[in-house]
Amino acid sequence: MTARAADGSRLVGRTGRPLSGARDRALFVNFLRRELTTRYLGSVTGFAWALLSPLALLGVYYFVFTHIFRATGFAGQSFVAFVAIALWPWLAAQEALQRGAISIAGYAGMIRKVAFPHEIIVLASVAATFVLQFAGYLAILAVLRISGEPIHVRGLLLAVPVWIVLLIGITGLTFLVAALQVFVKDVEHVLMPLLMMLMYLTPILYPLTLVPEGVRSWVAANPFNWVVGRLRDALLDGRLTLQSTDALALAVAIALFVGGRWVFRRLSPHFEDFV
Amino acid sequence: MTTSLLALDGIGKDYAKVETRGGRLRLVFDLLRGHGAAHVFRALDDVSFTMRRGESLGIIGENGAGKSTLLKVVAGVIQPTRGSVAVSGRVGALLELGSGFHPEYTGLANIDLAAALLGLAPSELGAKRDEIIAFADLGDHINDPLKQYSSGMVVRLGFAVATALSPDVLITDEVLAVGDESFQKRCIAWMERYLGGGGTLLLCSHSMYHIQKLCTHALWLKDGRVERYGPANDVSQAYLAYHEEKDARAHRPLGADRAAADGWYAIDTLTIDPPETIEQGGMLTVRGEVFSPDDRTPVVLVGIVRADGTPVYGVATDMEDAPPLQIGNGRYAFSLAFPDVALLPGRYKVRAHALDPEGVRLFDHVEQTLTVTGATRELGFVRLPHRWQTPA
Repeated sequence: MTARAADGSRLVGRTGRPLSGARDRALFVNFLRRELTTRYLGSVTGFAWALLSPLALLGVYYFVFTHIFRATGFAGQSFVAFVAIALWPWLAAQEALQRGAISIAGYAGMIRKVAFPHEIIVLASVAATFVLQFAGYLAILAVLRISGEPIHVRGLLLAVPVWIVLLIGITGLTFLVAALQVFVKDVEHVLMPLLMMLMYLTPILYPLTLVPEGVRSWVAANPFNWVVGRLRDALLDGRLTLQSTDALALAVAIALFVGGRWVFRRLSPHFEDFV
Repeated sequence: MTTSLLALDGIGKDYAKVETRGGRLRLVFDLLRGHGAAHVFRALDDVSFTMRRGESLGIIGENGAGKSTLLKVVAGVIQPTRGSVAVSGRVGALLELGSGFHPEYTGLANIDLAAALLGLAPSELGAKRDEIIAFADLGDHINDPLKQYSSGMVVRLGFAVATALSPDVLITDEVLAVGDESFQKRCIAWMERYLGGGGTLLLCSHSMYHIQKLCTHALWLKDGRVERYGPANDVSQAYLAYHEEKDARAHRPLGADRAAADGWYAIDTLTIDPPETIEQGGMLTVRGEVFSPDDRTPVVLVGIVRADGTPVYGVATDMEDAPPLQIGNGRYAFSLAFPDVALLPGRYKVRAHALDPEGVRLFDHVEQTLTVTGATRELGFVRLPHRWQTPA
């Protein structure tokens, strides 16, 4: 509990208070820079690795699916373009959750000794991942376009808002897992297989139309299906018209954000004792 | 001035006690439902005080009394479970110098980080940055990564950052003077300037000297509760008296019965001859009996200390191969003569300690007071053999 002083001066208990003002922005920028530099500071390839590793993954999928399984049915589109458009946002979500889950522990010393809003840790961790993956996304789209794939540049008008909705929802989920991880260390270990399974249950490597009709509605209900579907609509087909599911997706993302942040705010005053 | 700078009202802090993994899950549910934890340790209970500008407060108490927790509550690092904190002004916390620093960053980048953590907007930092760099006085090292700094350099930077923010209340946890001697002098000079200029300290220290010198008020915490709160001199003296009493209890002679029951070596009797008062240069004999629970010959250490506890001389039976003589079942006697007591006039204590036969563990001690009389203006407490000579 905190109380306001009689003359209305500032509250104590910075750990739990909402973010506001230039000071917290300065702290966010500082943490973001710290996340970006320390993640790749030790590695030889540096930032390039953030772009190269999804590219290598894409190469493996291409080899396995078109040369071993000889998969077809991508509605006349090339497998590489079809998968690439969905792969980067998925990797952004996955990496944001996995790094975000353990992000609080990285600031343990600071949490025990310094008063600051803990939310900034999660925000900076997620933002760092999205900045890098979105940069990679733009790069791969440019490469595909130059190499003659039919990428609709105007589709970015819809693709960027879809990424923003994804960012809102994933930030909320990351708040949730990051706060739980402080108390229950299993979260990080459960998260990896869970995300792996979810990836294959999401139409990233296959189109929704290949899913048997009986379970198709279940697969379609996955919010991430909306993300990949809308990105393909915009960038592969050039369709920019809004749908009713767009509003629903935005509502889901906001609900995840509000819910996740609520859990985080309930638990963060007790971090100091458990990190 | 009527408005308080800092007001704590009924502050309590519970820490959750969690033994099992399931307990942690349970705790999360309790916290989410807005309940407190089911099993708690009360680190602080019902702590209230107010501080006005210029009224520095010292927090004293034994280890684990809740001093650090209280400082963290005021600094805003933790939220109290009960009660409220009201602050009107900027709080600067020196809880652990350099704790907000990042080892990979340069000193300069860490100044920016620490300033952001302490709540300084970038626009406010501009002018302060040069001030911080000048105070820390690290030369070109300011551009090196922090991991290459010595620990002394880190605290210098930390002190420079925390103090440059000119806080209304400065919270410190036993870090009044850090770094090498010349930097310590600057720390103390800064502190005096800060207090002279109306600054307010919230200090946690085991040094009653510092509490009495720097603080107007003191608060004695015991097991998380306020044992005493008031003027610094009164509270610190009460605290010292409590400790003397506690020490005296701990050092009461054991007596043979209890010693036997506990398997301890104990001094049964101690007499000095002449008793109580001796002329300087006279002969002093120390005699006594010592108890052994296992019929092995114990080691006896006889020492002379000044009235304030400063050791003057000590010698043990095992150093000079003079074991106590067995005179009965588990009873041993010793006798030690000082033919020419070189002590200067003053008050002393003669102590005998019982040790195990290996001469390692100290079990018990008994003391007798001794006053040395004489007319001399020599200084110190022992006369050393000496002679004045004709300069060559």
